[in-house]
Amino acid sequence: MLELQSATLAYDSVFAVDSIGLEIRSGEQVCLIGPSGGGKTSLLGLMNGRLASSSGEVILNGKELKSLSGKALKTARSKIAWIPQDLGLVSNLRVNQNIACGRASEKGFFGLMRSLLLMGSREKKEVADLLKRVGIEEKIFHRVDHLSGGQKQRVAIARALYQRPEMILADEPVSSVDPERAKSLVELLTGLAREEGQTLVMSLHDIDLAKRYFDRVIGLREGRVVMDGAPDELDLTKLYDLS
Amino acid sequence: MRRRWFFFVGVLLFFSGLWVVGARPGELLPNEGGRETASEFLGAALRPALDFEDPEMRGSERDFIHKLGRALWLTLRYAVAAMSLALLIGLIWGVLGSRAWWSRSTLFLQTIRIGSRLLATAVRSVHELMWALLFLSAFGTSPLAAVLAMALPYGGTLAKVFSELLDESESSAAGVIRMSGGGGLAAFSVGVVTRALPDLATYALYRLECAIRSSAVLGFVGVPTLGYEIKTAYEDGHYREIWTYLYTLLAVVIFFEWWGAKVRSLLTKGVSSKKPDVRQPDVAQLWKLRGSSLFLRSSLLVVLIGGSMSWLLEDRWGAGISWEQRMRNLDRFTGEIVPYPVREADGDWGEFGPWLGEKMSEGGSEAVWQTFHLGTASILLAGVLALIGTRFAARSLASSVPRGVRDGSPAWRAILGSVLRGAAMLGRAMPEFILAFLLLRIFGPTVWALIIALAIHNGGILLRLGAEVIDNAPCRASSVILAQGGSRTSVYVGALVPAGFSRLVLFLFYRWESCIREATVLGMLGVASLGFLISDARVSFFYDEMVLWVALGAALVFFGDLTSDFVRYKLRGKNN
Repeated sequence: MLELQSATLAYDSVFAVDSIGLEIRSGEQVCLIGPSGGGKTSLLGLMNGRLASSSGEVILNGKELKSLSGKALKTARSKIAWIPQDLGLVSNLRVNQNIACGRASEKGFFGLMRSLLLMGSREKKEVADLLKRVGIEEKIFHRVDHLSGGQKQRVAIARALYQRPEMILADEPVSSVDPERAKSLVELLTGLAREEGQTLVMSLHDIDLAKRYFDRVIGLREGRVVMDGAPDELDLTKLYDLS
Repeated sequence: MRRRWFFFVGVLLFFSGLWVVGARPGELLPNEGGRETASEFLGAALRPALDFEDPEMRGSERDFIHKLGRALWLTLRYAVAAMSLALLIGLIWGVLGSRAWWSRSTLFLQTIRIGSRLLATAVRSVHELMWALLFLSAFGTSPLAAVLAMALPYGGTLAKVFSELLDESESSAAGVIRMSGGGGLAAFSVGVVTRALPDLATYALYRLECAIRSSAVLGFVGVPTLGYEIKTAYEDGHYREIWTYLYTLLAVVIFFEWWGAKVRSLLTKGVSSKKPDVRQPDVAQLWKLRGSSLFLRSSLLVVLIGGSMSWLLEDRWGAGISWEQRMRNLDRFTGEIVPYPVREADGDWGEFGPWLGEKMSEGGSEAVWQTFHLGTASILLAGVLALIGTRFAARSLASSVPRGVRDGSPAWRAILGSVLRGAAMLGRAMPEFILAFLLLRIFGPTVWALIIALAIHNGGILLRLGAEVIDNAPCRASSVILAQGGSRTSVYVGALVPAGFSRLVLFLFYRWESCIREATVLGMLGVASLGFLISDARVSFFYDEMVLWVALGAALVFFGDLTSDFVRYKLRGKNN
């Protein structure tokens, strides 16, 4: 379970996240929505400890993230998978090698190097099974820069799942694909996270997708939560200036 | 307006530079003796020697080809040994100097990073020929001295470039690994180094190509490589033998350029996996169909074997000089690099200031000034030659469909383009030092020989880089102008050069710094500049003066390096 208590993130005098209090329960499918600059990416950054809050607390499974360091912080992070907007793939590595990076924490440096250079047949099989679930099993040994945009997104999803996380944080992972492909990717990620019982927090621009695939929608504007509830309660006037 | 100022300052620096170094237009025409030498020398180009030119040598136990093979073998072996050491230095130092390595940014860590970068810049500011003179003077002639002389500045250069490449390739992939609980080392190795690997490997191979040229040039200070054979063949008047050595060197350098380009292409683009011929292939079948390159794997094997063999096959790294003797040499050298008046005054460094002032007024200041102008005038000449040549050499302008617009032009344009690109390749494959050595024999003792040698080598490099800029310039205006009946020259001058101007200037500054570095050593060939003073001090065994001039040269290159970095940083900012 993740809890934010008056979490604030300020750059000089600008508040990217302004005193937000939230509770995200295990297995919940949450969509962050709002205009650009509304604070979605910053809020996700606070949730995995990538950014340290200026004030307030971010508590993951009873532990304040800011107070953690060294091994404790790594252990906490190993339970959270992160899919950034640009997907964070190493373009000149193969798909299986990128996916192996999902278990960097578990494997340690030498274990990860071994997986990258001499991946064993059992691990290859496990990666292949995962890729089957995201629909690109035949691309397992392709270089990532030889894949299409949609296929790269599937690789990023597979890497996140390979981590065996409790929670997946995804920052606008479908912003660069056409609406049809975006729909199928959101459907895939929410479906897989539900199957695994994982918490999913995803930021999106597309309101229809938010309404259709998530249990809960949190609207952000100017760093504040302006709405939080079920998708059918979504009130656009609170998010956008429609006048 | 800024472009106009740039051209104005360039023209001003070029002519003032020629005036300062004493390059008179009349000296451009060789005298009768020079013309005769030139005609004999160029005539020999078509008849390279396959045997000794001296009939008495023909009956000797070892034939000419054996001698050539041995010189080539040593040239390659010292270059590879030096590069393997430089690579180790460059990797460690480059990582320490990169921002991407230090994820935290405390004042202490920043100091280590900036200190590493400055030290790398300082080490590479001393030309390998200068390091060779220092090591040979300190330890005596030996293969180890030659290898260390190349490994140190090359290590510094690799460190500087590697840290820049690592910083440029930092990406969110490293962040994802860190955020999933991976360690800093794993994040850096996979997210940063792996991404930068094609660029790191390409640059290392380019430096290997440069190391082969440097290894050949070390022959001019007594190391038995190709340069040594060229020098002795010239002294004996055996021009055909010189051409054999030159052709061999050119062939090897061009081969390494081709190899580097091929490796870069494979590492950057990768090899596509084959499509499976069954509907649901298993993992083992997909693994067999993965894209992989035999060429890349063989190259890696060759590099590993070559690197090890270059060290293992030499059994006389110390050239048979005993350790005691070597230490005595070093003691004498370290004693004598202390300025003479300081030694006389029992180590009173108060005497250093007046001595330095005296040396600077006796010729040091003038030599620094001349060296600066020699490098600057040469790079400006190279830039002009490249700018003109690029108009005809750029593939996108030489083709019968320039910039995608068909104009039905004759085939000679494409042929001229190929000839120019070939000439540029030869120009950059030829070491400036050897080129200057040969031109001095034709023009006589004039600074023009040095300017032309620097301009040919750097012009070749700039032409290649310029042609790439022009070919890759995303300039729609060029197609529009051509479609409306405009000429290729008007497209080049009016659209493509302005579009790629920042990048062209960036490359000019990158080579300017190298030109200043080379200018410090070309004086060793007998034309007044810092190199001349260094050479003179060395033959007189005035090691204190020699070290002073080397340090001055390094300071000049260091200044050029920092200026060039600053200008390139500013220009990059403008490009982004």
